[in-house]
Amino acid sequence: MSGHADERTGETDPVNLLLESARDEAVESPFHVTGVMMQYYEVCKRELWFESRDVEIDRENPNVVRGTHVDETAYDEKRRNLSIDGRIAPDLLDDGRVVEVKPSSTLVEPARLQLLYYLWYLDRVVGVEKEGVLAHPTERKRESVELTDENEQQVEDAIRGIYDVVRSDTPPPAKEKPFCESCAYHDFCWSC
Amino acid sequence: MNDNYHIFSDGRVERHNDTVRLVTDDDEKKYLPIENAEALFLHGQIDFNTRVISFLDDHGVAMHVFGWNDYYSGSIMPERGQTSGQTVVEQVRAYDDEAHRGKIAREIVDGSIHNMRANVTYYDNRDYDLDSTLDALDRRREEIQSAESVEEAMGVEASARRAYYGIFDQILPEGFVFGGRKYNPPNNKVNSLISFGNSLVYANIVSAIRATALDPTISYLHEPGERRYSLALDLADLFKPVLTDRVVFRLVNRGQLSDDDFDSEMNACLLTETGRETFSKEFEQTLDRTIEHPRLNRKVSYQYLLRVEAYKLKKHLLTGEPYESFERWW
Ligand code: SF4
Repeated sequence: MSGHADERTGETDPVNLLLESARDEAVESPFHVTGVMMQYYEVCKRELWFESRDVEIDRENPNVVRGTHVDETAYDEKRRNLSIDGRIAPDLLDDGRVVEVKPSSTLVEPARLQLLYYLWYLDRVVGVEKEGVLAHPTERKRESVELTDENEQQVEDAIRGIYDVVRSDTPPPAKEKPFCESCAYHDFCWSC
Repeated sequence: MNDNYHIFSDGRVERHNDTVRLVTDDDEKKYLPIENAEALFLHGQIDFNTRVISFLDDHGVAMHVFGWNDYYSGSIMPERGQTSGQTVVEQVRAYDDEAHRGKIAREIVDGSIHNMRANVTYYDNRDYDLDSTLDALDRRREEIQSAESVEEAMGVEASARRAYYGIFDQILPEGFVFGGRKYNPPNNKVNSLISFGNSLVYANIVSAIRATALDPTISYLHEPGERRYSLALDLADLFKPVLTDRVVFRLVNRGQLSDDDFDSEMNACLLTETGRETFSKEFEQTLDRTIEHPRLNRKVSYQYLLRVEAYKLKKHLLTGEPYESFERWW
């Protein structure tokens, strides 16, 4: 399905690697991608690297970790959290659609990518086709999201990109972004 | 936030409902607002039990115990879940690689000399002529670049500090004769002040390191396996001039310490309880001072600079990005 292995001569395509290790626990060099990693991939690849290395964040940092907090408090509609193999944890609405909350207008793309990844994962690993909803709690708007050939490609490219970041010995250098200020790694990144 | 509480009286600290309280020997009860505390400093004879220790642990508050003679005697550190195998592995790797260890060690000495020099410049700009000391420190700074071993780096640090301590007798008023660094036990008033101040710096750095997943026993300039947390000794060198020495100069020059604040016995000279109290108060005020941080883009306290230093080192070890030691920039 994903014919990208040829680009990486001699190496397994990360997409296949992910699928193999998701389907078979005995795979030797497992490669996991969580929903949050998808977000970080969009938001900041350096943050993704830190996250993958278990660089712990300063618990006293007053900045709340983006997204997750909003996710839990700002949206009280009934939904179930479905944890799959302990790897991904999509939220399902009563009608069975996968819902992802967009915490703010700057973070809509990360949330969309995470949602697409869930849909892709459910399709490829679990074998169920789902529809998705991107919810905007404050604006009371919802947007349907479906897996298409095009955004499938986007998900798989992101998986490859994540693989490269995570496998790298060094993180991408810090670059000042609007997100930095609310990032849990802010002081770590910019302590210099 | 991140306040230190110093307890000078004798008594016991205990958990009382959801707080910690101090019950002094004359039955006075005092509640300690530990929610925002970084650490408790125990200077008196204090009893405590496991209940209060686990309570402090839950709140991430350290307890530093100050004894007599050598002042710092130990810490009870909160668990806090800050452990990262990766960090410790990288820490040990850098230690084991002679070139890498040497580089970090030189960087620490370089920053230390810069910070000593900043104090000398301050007084040179006032009424003193300290050019020869400035020259000496500049030469040490050149030397450190080419120091080949960690031992050599230690040697350069020691001779820089000797040159730097040489100005103390010029700056400090009569009645505060220094005559060079002596500790264990300190032999005069100035030495007892420096010892006490340095042990406060050290304890605060122990807390700062603990807030990261760095292992406090793996160090670069000092030899690991010494009796104390040797990484805290490494980083303390950077901050002694900014914290200890400035507090000593300030208190002594303002006449805030008198003979009554010292206890001289045999060949030791130590601060009394009130002396320690005066010093700690000024020291805490210094920790609370803030400075605009050029990279963090906000004001941070001097105390937070200790934390920042631990972050910098950790970041260097994990990412390979260069470590530049703390140099006073203001
Ligand atoms: S502080 Fe900025 S550069 Fe650093 S990890 Fe966070 S978002 Fe990325």
